[in-house]
Amino acid sequence: MIEILTIPGILFIAGALLLTLIPQKLRSPLFLLFPLLAFVIIWMRPDGYQVTTAFLDYELILMQTDSLSRVFGLIFSFIALGAGIYAYHLKDLGQQVNALAYAGGALGVTFAGDLLTLVIFWEVMAVTSTWLIWARRTPQTDAAGMRYLLYHILGGGLLFAGILWHLADTGSLAVVTLTQAYTPANVLMLLGVGVNAAAVPFHTWLADAYPKATITGSIFMSAFTTKTAVYVLIRMFPGWEILIWFGAVMTLYGVFYAVICKDIREILSYHIVSQVGYMIVAIGIGTEMALNGSTAHAFNNILYKTLMFMAAGAILYSVGSSKMSHLGGLHKKLRWVLLLYMVGAFSISGIPLFNGFVSKGLTISAAGYAGNETAMLVLLLASVGTWLSVGLKLPYFTWFNKQDYEGEVKPVPANMYIAMGITAAACLFFGVWPQALLGLMPFEESYNPFYLYHFVEVTQILLMTFVVFWLLKKKLAPELVTVLDIDWFFRKAAPSVRSLFVVKVDRFYDRTEEMILATTGRLAKAFENPMLWLNPFTDKKNQATSYSQAMEVGMSFILLTILVMLLWFFLI
Amino acid sequence: MNKWIWTVTAVILLVTLVLEFAFLGDYDSHWWNAIPAFYALWGLVGCAVMIYTAKWIAKNLLNRDVSYYD
Repeated sequence: MIEILTIPGILFIAGALLLTLIPQKLRSPLFLLFPLLAFVIIWMRPDGYQVTTAFLDYELILMQTDSLSRVFGLIFSFIALGAGIYAYHLKDLGQQVNALAYAGGALGVTFAGDLLTLVIFWEVMAVTSTWLIWARRTPQTDAAGMRYLLYHILGGGLLFAGILWHLADTGSLAVVTLTQAYTPANVLMLLGVGVNAAAVPFHTWLADAYPKATITGSIFMSAFTTKTAVYVLIRMFPGWEILIWFGAVMTLYGVFYAVICKDIREILSYHIVSQVGYMIVAIGIGTEMALNGSTAHAFNNILYKTLMFMAAGAILYSVGSSKMSHLGGLHKKLRWVLLLYMVGAFSISGIPLFNGFVSKGLTISAAGYAGNETAMLVLLLASVGTWLSVGLKLPYFTWFNKQDYEGEVKPVPANMYIAMGITAAACLFFGVWPQALLGLMPFEESYNPFYLYHFVEVTQILLMTFVVFWLLKKKLAPELVTVLDIDWFFRKAAPSVRSLFVVKVDRFYDRTEEMILATTGRLAKAFENPMLWLNPFTDKKNQATSYSQAMEVGMSFILLTILVMLLWFFLI
Repeated sequence: MNKWIWTVTAVILLVTLVLEFAFLGDYDSHWWNAIPAFYALWGLVGCAVMIYTAKWIAKNLLNRDVSYYD
């Protein structure tokens, strides 16, 4: 029993339940305890460690450790700690409980040794993360949360259907590497995971919901859902060629929208799609080096993307808006946020001595070594877009562009700065000392990012991107717009679909009900008094007390006869 | 401000070009290595193309009023 509680996913969910029972003041400190505990536990578990339990006829493997699950487990618990510090000032029980359970879901998936455990934690993630959108309590976020939830119900359903089909085919629930074969079971599972990985065209839930989630909620969301899906893809679908193409489309689609969008959290959200694309390309290539690249990039991405979301959240908290047209000129008032954001931006753009330089280099080199030059060029083009959208455009129009920001600027809580400081320090640490990260990789890795070719390549690309941005920056000037995406089709279709399948069906039932009630009423009225039909002697008014005299005499005579007969029977 | 930015940019670019031509002259792992300063061109052209196409598509297809879905 105690051993079951040391399973990180279950520990977090038990912790979330415990949070509901304790006083408000203790909640935030206690929240931090669980990620810390989980981090230590994961660090200590040896390869091959297993916790199993029996369920019906199946043996479930609730936890299984190897180098791949360990590295994901460590970064998930680390970022849960960072996000917990960032949200330390929060006094919203619902958000705290759901955020912790959500992180628990991600850890549960990471260590699940069988598909049933995996899908259960998968669904825990879907439900709890929805709360982090709804917690803002506006009509827009209510609707966005519902769209998000529907999408994840679809994804979870596809995955579960695939798992059941897989079970029927193979008789096994074990989480194993699948050889590339497009059987219905595999395709269903791949689609289910693809929804959570925000693979284009199933990505709109992300760009729709993340910018609308609460300030602290979006920190958790940016770290867990997509990266858990990346983990499952590395675990189950390495070397599936179709992933190269999906990933390549994602890298460009994501940055393209990040260039277009005008809301800083929306830009960062679309950019997640691009970054996950990098990881998915590497998974599709499937060599040991590429899988290391994908893992390292997921690891680093969790650090710098969370840092950037934290900075964007700090701006939203402080200024009250995340729309670039309301921002600008904040370099004096929010200088430290700028500095910390730029650590994230430099990391994500792969500037030397920041952690993205290591994992991006590893991923692109892996594509090169595997002989896939097209993928290499696509990834290099996407890194142009990355630097352009989140490294130049976003900071320029948020902190500069105007002399000074004129509106009110609320002070950013110290805990937010601490959380950003810790994640920024981690970005720098792994950038300066890549061996610390590469030593954690699932396969042995001798890659050294610090070589001349890599330096020349990155510097030339980023420098010329900067030059073009500086010359053309007016083209990217902020506007107040809604940018359409593929979700336009179902958001526009929703009213007619609702009208056809809900409103019209409802109305049909209503009409039928009304008709039946009306008919019943009419019949009841008509047959109110059967005597009217049965007895020709009643008067028109049909009152029971006013029978005709002849009738009353007749009935009295019958009654008298009965009484006489009864007396006769009993007395004689 | 502008002058300072251009000077630093030019100096760094020059350094990378010197490094490329002085030390990486013999590398030929990919077809594009035959093109001098390929990565600088890739950044230049890639960025310009991305800005113009994004702007054009946004303007003609994707941008709507801010309360479009409300």
